Amino acid sequence: MELHGDAILLLLALGPAGAVGFYWAMYRHYRNTDKSHAFEHETTVEVLALTGAEADRKIDEIRGTRSPRIQGDNVGNHRQRVQPM
Amino acid sequence: MAPHPPTRPPEPTGPGSPQDMPPAPGQHPLDPSKLPQPIRDELVAPDPAAIDTSAKELRDGLNHCPKCGSTEVRQRPGSDRLICLYCRHEWTATRVEEAFGLGEGIADLRGTQIASGARDIAADAASLRSFKCDGCGAEVVINTDTAMTARCHWCRHVLGVNEQIANGAVPDAVLPFHIMKDDAVTRIRQFVNKRRLFALKAFKDEFTPENVVGVYLPYMVVDARGSADAAGLGEIETRRYTRDEGKQKQTYYDADVWRVQRHVEFTVDDLPLESSAKRGNLDTRTNTHNVINTILPFDTKNAVKWNASYLVGYTSEKRDRDVQHLMPRMHEQMLSIARAQMQPSVRRYDRGVRWERERMDLKGTRWVAMYLPVWLYAYHQPEPGGGLLHYIAVNGRTGETMGSVPVQQWKLVLAALSIGTVVEALALWFIAR
Repeated sequence: MELHGDAILLLLALGPAGAVGFYWAMYRHYRNTDKSHAFEHETTVEVLALTGAEADRKIDEIRGTRSPRIQGDNVGNHRQRVQPM
Repeated sequence: MAPHPPTRPPEPTGPGSPQDMPPAPGQHPLDPSKLPQPIRDELVAPDPAAIDTSAKELRDGLNHCPKCGSTEVRQRPGSDRLICLYCRHEWTATRVEEAFGLGEGIADLRGTQIASGARDIAADAASLRSFKCDGCGAEVVINTDTAMTARCHWCRHVLGVNEQIANGAVPDAVLPFHIMKDDAVTRIRQFVNKRRLFALKAFKDEFTPENVVGVYLPYMVVDARGSADAAGLGEIETRRYTRDEGKQKQTYYDADVWRVQRHVEFTVDDLPLESSAKRGNLDTRTNTHNVINTILPFDTKNAVKWNASYLVGYTSEKRDRDVQHLMPRMHEQMLSIARAQMQPSVRRYDRGVRWERERMDLKGTRWVAMYLPVWLYAYHQPEPGGGLLHYIAVNGRTGETMGSVPVQQWKLVLAALSIGTVVEALALWFIAR
């Protein structure tokens, strides 16, 4: 099998990436620096009204992008604060 | 000169800070099956079990025994009942939820309602309080920074701080310990056994979980009503195709871009916030308080009216933050909750949503000060610059355990380099083939 230049570089990067990845994962397992109270899911919340879906409007189309997700996707990162309205 | 507003320490941000979304329970970034046996054994070992108290309604107290008048009143271990050690009379304390109607009317909350125990701390209020003993008239001093009860050294009467003094030491309610010391010790041991291979040698040598201390930590438990708005862009995938580029295949996507806006009105029941400046500082670079934050929440619905007898045998920490200090944090957590509630309504945007603007409007809040029970094991790791205090915390009600175990750096670095070398060797072999 003939390997492309980029593929060789990618394979060569596996070693250092593996070392860093292992260190990072084990450090977090011991020190738990990434843990905090998941209040978004562990608090009793009652939604009285959720509106706005009817006003969603299509404004543009993108053709041929290589990115699988929207740039700056923060739909799952509820704690990332954005500009005040 | 006008007094300066109280300053808050800068919030830690970036990877590893509690501003990040925590990972789901049991989730691990590495696949344990591909790791060497000893490491795999550690990772897959079970975590200390936590009791789910969300559905469990527990039936749930005076310093004088109502029957005989003795002051030898203690919490009956493992229950919310009080027992007189003199005549063995037992009685149940009143749950604040029912006594003050705390579970009701959240949808009609307006303005900021503050329970008497959560009122602002008077600047001149002293921590040291002296009491005249009912039994013999002696003066007994209680340091409310760390304790709420004391025994008269003359007549052996037990005195407790029961009236609400303006120094923040007496909360509205207390949630008694349910997890006993032996249980906490077992959980801490189990937690550390999962983290021994790369743990600091001195930590393992000095590990004595029997030294765990039961502490009542100060919290504000907040009910709130609010509305939030968020606006941004969402994308829906319309087509996905691959193109050959030289020897590689590349995937391309077509997508529709939508302007998205959501408005949510919601109520939050019993959101706990640390009301101590020290415990509320979650900067993981300088402390490990985030592990105490992680063992939240508590079954605060079962909290009982303040009675100092619950604190006999335990230490306590005094509240030093007022409602106004906690408001910004409350506001931010409400906004995070609102965004989490909006997520299911934007599922159709399968390429994700980028929220660009947001607003939180707090319509009403209700603040109740509570002492919540935590078992704390501490280890001080000496380091140049003061070192770091590592905590292992056990929730005194649910048993949820979280902690920080200091790492033997050279050992972990060596293991990481070994694994990296093996992976690199495999990669080189694959290239040379």
